Amino acid sequence: MIELKNLQKTYQGDNGSLEALRGVSAHIRAGEIYGVIGKSGAGKSTLIRCINMLERPTTGSVIVDGEELTTMPERQLRDVRKKIGMIFQHFNLLSSRTVYDNVAFPLELAGKTASEIEAAVAPLLELVGLADKRNQYPAQLSGGQKQRVGIARALANRPKVLLCDEATSALDPQTTHSILELLKDINQKFNLTIVIITHEMQVIKEICDRVAVIENGLIIEEGTVIDLFVRPQTATTKDFIRTIVSHDLPDIFADIPFSATPSPGSNLMLRLSFIGTSANEPIIAGLIRRFNVDVNILFGNIDHLKATPFGTLLVEVSGEDAAIQAALQYLQEIELGIEVIGYVARNARTFN
Amino acid sequence: MSQEMLALLIEALWETLYMVAVSAGIATVIGVPLGVILVATSRGHILQNLWLNRILGYIANATRSTPFIILMVAIIPLTRVLAGTSIGTNAAIVPLSIAAIPFVGRVVESALREVDYGLIEAAQAMGASPFQIIRRVLLPEAMPSIVLGLTLAVISLIGYSAMAGAIGGGGLGDLAIRFGYQRFRVDVMISTVVILIALVQLVQTAGDRVSQRLNKK
Repeated sequence: MIELKNLQKTYQGDNGSLEALRGVSAHIRAGEIYGVIGKSGAGKSTLIRCINMLERPTTGSVIVDGEELTTMPERQLRDVRKKIGMIFQHFNLLSSRTVYDNVAFPLELAGKTASEIEAAVAPLLELVGLADKRNQYPAQLSGGQKQRVGIARALANRPKVLLCDEATSALDPQTTHSILELLKDINQKFNLTIVIITHEMQVIKEICDRVAVIENGLIIEEGTVIDLFVRPQTATTKDFIRTIVSHDLPDIFADIPFSATPSPGSNLMLRLSFIGTSANEPIIAGLIRRFNVDVNILFGNIDHLKATPFGTLLVEVSGEDAAIQAALQYLQEIELGIEVIGYVARNARTFN
Repeated sequence: MSQEMLALLIEALWETLYMVAVSAGIATVIGVPLGVILVATSRGHILQNLWLNRILGYIANATRSTPFIILMVAIIPLTRVLAGTSIGTNAAIVPLSIAAIPFVGRVVESALREVDYGLIEAAQAMGASPFQIIRRVLLPEAMPSIVLGLTLAVISLIGYSAMAGAIGGGGLGDLAIRFGYQRFRVDVMISTVVILIALVQLVQTAGDRVSQRLNKK
């Protein structure tokens, strides 16, 4: 649905130039929810603005629904933009218009008649749950309600693509959740392709199918959300995951020295990640039986990536040195996210 | 105060209202588009044209930096061409309009600049043309501030119109000078001042009301 090829964007300023994008390529499939996560200044805002040509890339190509946009004249571009909805962090509603008139706005721009507008707007207000607010002004609404108006407005021209520019960043966690549910809902109902840029891993976790991590104007990692959570490759990705899945060790380990290599009589500390069906297999029990080791669960957590269960366990494996190594090898062979935290001398433990 | 004096006052008030209303109308019709152009052609805006922007800016500044009393005299030849005469209320409308146009242009410009650029971006993302953005986003969103700016312009025009009286433009200023000052008619002087104060109050109150009514923020 959206094809980005080697996008580069350089801003010329008074103090030299700034490279916001340094060669971004991505393929976003029809009907998927694609997330782009990055810290502020990473280039994600520029990237999403290049998709509908609010920013013209310096070089590279943007193809949306089979049409090359970078070379398209302004007039033709306006028609294409009507098929690309967009919502914003600060909602950008017209304060002088009621809820109804805000949603009607893109239809007015497209030259629709009043009856066509009424026929389109009423069900949209129903969809976003604001039918009773149609004659209120944005100033009378909460942040979540404003974003719902933004969504209804973005859907008015029945777009094929919805761009979300930090759409939940100004909202509290509960409201964020309800807005994400709404986006998930319209994604399924209309088979709408959704591109979300955010700095919040929570957003990626709740609704995205695939995700790209952007840093310094480059996509440094891309894949399904599950892959990214289980096998993050870069430090940046790990940082983002850490914001929602605690990787901190329990306090009692704070003063205990870890070593990267085993020494005689030391215990192994591991973090295990489980995804989907593997979360159901009796791995720990199997470990204990097959290798005659003890497994002590120190911390456990279960979460969902969109609809897929995702668990993490922090365990300490003790037993004969050889048995520990055999158990570790076994765990590394099966499809499981595994991270060796280190080895800890058995007598260093005072808490058990 | 004699019946005659009262009739003179009413006539002068009428002349003032006429001069102010017509010149405010002309200034709005030309000044609002001027303000729109000053914003839309500025750097990074929807119709960036720095060359045009700079020229209009210079003209607006030049007009505004000329004291009104001097402007009035300086453009007498132009007034003769446009109004057919250089004295009377119709003649006064020419300098009044010329002084008010850049004033309105600047207040409209600053009102439009208050509109969050995010709204323009949102409209662009919906496929709005520059003209649609001006007509349906910038002007309606800035309307409360524009009304306050126009109110200010009308009040300035009331003041200027009194000055126009000094060179034979008619109106309350003319009356105050000829009767109140030159013939020592304190009652006329006080009456005109009171009427002017009331007029300004009335305009300000009305402008505030309309602006408040339009403001949905």
